[in-house]
Amino acid sequence: MNLPQNGAIKPDLRVRLGDVEFKNPVLVASGTFGYGAEANQWCDISELGGVVTKSVSWKPRMGNPPHRIIETASGMLNSIGLANVGVQVFIKEKLPYLARFDTKIIANIAASSVEEYRDVLEHIEANAVPNLAGYEINISCPNVKDGGLSFGTSVERTEELTTLLRASTKRLLIMKLTPNVTSVAPFAQACERAGADAISLINTLVGMSIDIYTREPRLNTVTGGLSGPAIKPIALAQVYQARKACSLPIIGIGGIVTAEDAVEFLIAGASMVQVGTANFVYPDAGIRVAKGLEAYLQKQSIARVSDLVNSLRVKAELKAAGW
Amino acid sequence: MDASLLSPVTRRVELAPGLVTLRFHNPHVARTTKAGQFVNVLPKAGFLDPMLRRPFSVYWTEGDEAEIIVQAHGRGTGILAGTHVGDMLDVLGPLGKPWMVNSEDYSTAVLLIGGVGVASMPLLTRALEREEIPIQTFYGARTGSLIAKEHLQNLHFATDDGSQGFHGSNVSLVRAALEKNKLNSPKLFTCGPTAMLRAAQSLAAEFGIPCEISLETEMACGIGICQGCPVRNEESVFQATGRRYRLVCTDGPSFRSEEVVI
Repeated sequence: MNLPQNGAIKPDLRVRLGDVEFKNPVLVASGTFGYGAEANQWCDISELGGVVTKSVSWKPRMGNPPHRIIETASGMLNSIGLANVGVQVFIKEKLPYLARFDTKIIANIAASSVEEYRDVLEHIEANAVPNLAGYEINISCPNVKDGGLSFGTSVERTEELTTLLRASTKRLLIMKLTPNVTSVAPFAQACERAGADAISLINTLVGMSIDIYTREPRLNTVTGGLSGPAIKPIALAQVYQARKACSLPIIGIGGIVTAEDAVEFLIAGASMVQVGTANFVYPDAGIRVAKGLEAYLQKQSIARVSDLVNSLRVKAELKAAGW
Repeated sequence: MDASLLSPVTRRVELAPGLVTLRFHNPHVARTTKAGQFVNVLPKAGFLDPMLRRPFSVYWTEGDEAEIIVQAHGRGTGILAGTHVGDMLDVLGPLGKPWMVNSEDYSTAVLLIGGVGVASMPLLTRALEREEIPIQTFYGARTGSLIAKEHLQNLHFATDDGSQGFHGSNVSLVRAALEKNKLNSPKLFTCGPTAMLRAAQSLAAEFGIPCEISLETEMACGIGICQGCPVRNEESVFQATGRRYRLVCTDGPSFRSEEVVI
């Protein structure tokens, strides 16, 4: 614990995941922060716990045609289609750029086959920079037909892919799970069995919006991924369910805008959080959350952010009944 | 470092029902915006619904103050149009690339405006005046009361209902002027409804003149992160760059008309 001059306790925001220490538990979610350069004009990336990059695939992807985004009540639908620069440009340009900052990088990988996931990961691994903390594996993109969701909705394929990728890296291996399944619990357990270091959840929920005058879907792909504050209660419940189902560290994602939102996820059982859609409104949203988290801990006289994790108070009889 | 700046509204002028200019105090935007750039503004600072910012071309700047022009169209713009003096706007900007005033492929600037597409034209007019480039402005609107003619020059009006100027399309006015060779080495600078932009695109191709179009699309971040505002590149651009799409927010909002499919 640090004791600054004013005598107030400065809370410890540091978090450990495997062998990696993050300066705070706030990451920016994949696809909501580019590769860092775009937002750096508006905030100091080094104040973030880490940056999860835009998904990277083996070849560049052009993305889907317009319209790619539609605002809905307290949220938005997107169908970007994994537009990304491909692993070669990622290694040549994006990774070195992020390496300049005093923060951790998590490379998010999207692919359509086991081999592609492995090749992309191994390619990045061979060109790693010192602050590359690990990988987040996107098995949950709902917006492209070959975007990995076929992995994310099958417990067997999730376990098989996790096992394979585990063998290719000693860095953090984080599996990003979809909420578009009946229960997240068996997926969390499959990741644990296969040796993942953590799971992150939730990716977007499948949603839809219709123009009632033309009777056409508002998004090019008919359905898209719903994100933003609208999905926060669902995300919290899924984090809680995953917490009960496995002992892996959880990175909570879904509609986090404020530090109070982040605190809810930590209490529900997440060790870290990712700020996503809020970055589209405030490019410094993650930093706002990290600073707000520190203020909350200080005000509540909580010494370490880790003291919050999994601290939900559920009455014994409810727990006994399976809630 | 605060990414977006709370900016108090210092003046609100209602030009017509649902069409207002909002002036706000924001030295950064006021002093650094170039003609054609935009700001991304939250409908209601601090609220989660509506959640996303709305992009507006910067309409005017003076000292430490900047203006946007808002047409109440949906929920977000409706809320913004109802903003009062003293209310706080949450403003991110300036964003995007400016109009290419110095493209050196023209000697007369022809401003082709459709409706609220006027938004970036006053600053463009000012920039052209500074370069001493002659300007002809062809301004089309549904009706005369929806015309915002401040800070523009050499105006020719066209309205759908004939209430002001030519009864019909401003594109036909420009076509007539081109056919009579009245415009010396012209370049079109155009912003407005898609149908008008397409007409301008074909007109420019037909007469072999440069044309720059400023696009408006759904947009979330405005800074190139969300990839939500793609515009399709013409095949030649795709072949040359390998990019199927560019982003309206960071690659635009204005593009050479022959380079994009709209």
